[in-house]
Amino acid sequence: MTDERQRLTTARFGRRDFVRYAGVAAGAGILAACKKAETTGTGTTGPTGATGATGSARPTIDQEPGSLSVSDWSGYGNGDYYPGKEKTFLWGKYANATGDTPQFTLFENDDAGFTKVVAGARYDVIHPCAYRFRDYVELGVMQPWDTSLIPNWSNLNPTLETFGEIDGQQYFIVEDWGFIAPLYRNDKVEPVEDSWSLLWDDRYEKRISWINTLEMLVIAGFYHQVPDPWTMTDDELAQMRDFLISKKHLVSFMWDQSYDLWLSFKRGDVWIGYSWPDTVGYATTAGMDVTYMQPKEGRISWSCGLGLFKDSANYYHAHEYADSWSDVKAAGFLEAYYYYGHANTTVDLSTLPPAIVEAFSLDDLSILEEPNSNPESWISRRDVYSQYWSEVLAG
Amino acid sequence: MEPSATGDAERRPRDRAVTAGLLAGPVLWLLLFFVVPVLYVAAYSVGAVKVFPTDTGAVSLDDWRRFLAGGVYLSLFWKSIRISLTVSFVVVLLAYPVGYFLALCVKKRKYVLLLLIIAPFLTSYLLRVLAWKVILGDSGVINSFLASIHVTTPDHPVNWLLYSQFSVLLVLAYVWVPFVALPIFVSLDNLDRSLLEAAGDLGASRWRTFWRVTFPLSLPGVIAAFVFVFVPTIGEFVTPLLVGGTSGYMYGNAIQDLFTRGLDWQTGSVLAVFLLAVVAGLMVLFGRFVQVRSVAS
Repeated sequence: MTDERQRLTTARFGRRDFVRYAGVAAGAGILAACKKAETTGTGTTGPTGATGATGSARPTIDQEPGSLSVSDWSGYGNGDYYPGKEKTFLWGKYANATGDTPQFTLFENDDAGFTKVVAGARYDVIHPCAYRFRDYVELGVMQPWDTSLIPNWSNLNPTLETFGEIDGQQYFIVEDWGFIAPLYRNDKVEPVEDSWSLLWDDRYEKRISWINTLEMLVIAGFYHQVPDPWTMTDDELAQMRDFLISKKHLVSFMWDQSYDLWLSFKRGDVWIGYSWPDTVGYATTAGMDVTYMQPKEGRISWSCGLGLFKDSANYYHAHEYADSWSDVKAAGFLEAYYYYGHANTTVDLSTLPPAIVEAFSLDDLSILEEPNSNPESWISRRDVYSQYWSEVLAG
Repeated sequence: MEPSATGDAERRPRDRAVTAGLLAGPVLWLLLFFVVPVLYVAAYSVGAVKVFPTDTGAVSLDDWRRFLAGGVYLSLFWKSIRISLTVSFVVVLLAYPVGYFLALCVKKRKYVLLLLIIAPFLTSYLLRVLAWKVILGDSGVINSFLASIHVTTPDHPVNWLLYSQFSVLLVLAYVWVPFVALPIFVSLDNLDRSLLEAAGDLGASRWRTFWRVTFPLSLPGVIAAFVFVFVPTIGEFVTPLLVGGTSGYMYGNAIQDLFTRGLDWQTGSVLAVFLLAVVAGLMVLFGRFVQVRSVAS
């Protein structure tokens, strides 16, 4: 036994020994990491490490840490698009009420934002779109809002707010809405008909821009009159994938930020695009002769809203923030500068350019309902859609 | 005085301890931040790790089978290989004269010139790539010039300059030339000049001297330069993302998309591990041709 101990303690630590021990250590590390991932789901804690408190156990707003962490789109408060104005209109009310400055983390699209959260990122507030709401709730990372803490709640359009209601609870406060439709330059493009088919019109090779998200599969589904493009079968998805791959050579580039689409329109690189209203607004304001099409298959309407994370240590701060976003000042700013609609119904539309009000039917919220448009729906098989879209990109 | 055998014997364990101590940090770093993550990704590629709610957690080689059976991702891989090979050849061709000029033609201030050549590296990579968008766009510098000399019209510019495989090749070549000139320069700068003189004395022309003496002796530097470009550009994704459009999409973009937006980390892991394996294989292969010491010396 003594000899054995001596042999072990005096043994030379050769390369093979080192590799063997390193392998064992690495394996143990991986097993430990796997175990942790299984146990916690994501293997991380909240931004402040706090757990969700309820009722009287919840600290008051003065006891909260502040520095509200907000995960949002670029230009929705961080100053990317309108430095100064974004703060004043979108969260100026919040800053006045709390003295706090939110900390922004940006995502380029809903898929990227959700991926970060699934991978373990946690914030106080996040701003996804309606078709993603249920994914967040089912992930178990959100908590419902207490609408009584949001004074502007009564000014918000109740029809829109039903999109944020899941399992009878208000998990999201819907704020902004808009459309998705083809946009084209009148001086360069003559559509054969008002249809999504303009996005794959052979006459305009390399003058077309698609969005780089799986919504293109849905658009193709509407074009091909699939019974329900939001719940396509594998066969239908495969058909849409193959169709889009066959048309991809016509596309100049796929945009991630809508501002990139506007810049390419402005430079003249692109004449036709899958567009949100902001690009239409920028082009119109710049004097460009464009048409925002009403395709025969119907525009797609979207809405987005604020969600509150379950582990947020800034519960009351978050409600102040949601109230600031729900305010008429925020609504007016969004409509005048981004050409998006807003859930606040008290905006004086006479202050906006009539052309913008008419183009986006800001005075008629029934435009968001079928058959006037196709509201974006939750896609239960979104992971499958994602796989097919990845193949379109790679194909 | 010769050191005694006893002194040597005493020093050996201490030297070993010092060596082990010095190596422990880097080795641990590599283990923690390279080997373990790679093994983790490899484990994920066969479903042994569960991260997403949709992950089954069941070990399966299905994704590997699907990938290796062909399909879009393998085709994309070969496309990226083609692009990387083209870029590497072009870059080495462009960088060789630069290295040659600096090493063998410039007598004074060669290091100042070298610094000037690598100066673009001191600016932002993103900025340099984005600048090409201004140059290559339909209303960019090149198309404006072509329109001004009536080769094209503003309504019909050359539209394959941007958002194409060409733009990816061009920008990657631009980005890598200064970097690649370095190993070629080092290789040529260390050339034994007496060999060139001997070739001249024996009646060889300058061209023959170059092909029979200079170029063969600089091959280790050329191969090293080729590898320096080829290996990183296979997995390149920033340049294609900015100037590639749909036709310039590369294998690295697919990996990025699968991880960041596709929520398909398992396929992404398969692609990543495959790329790593290919790169490792290439490094071993190139290692047979490139003697790092010969380049360094």
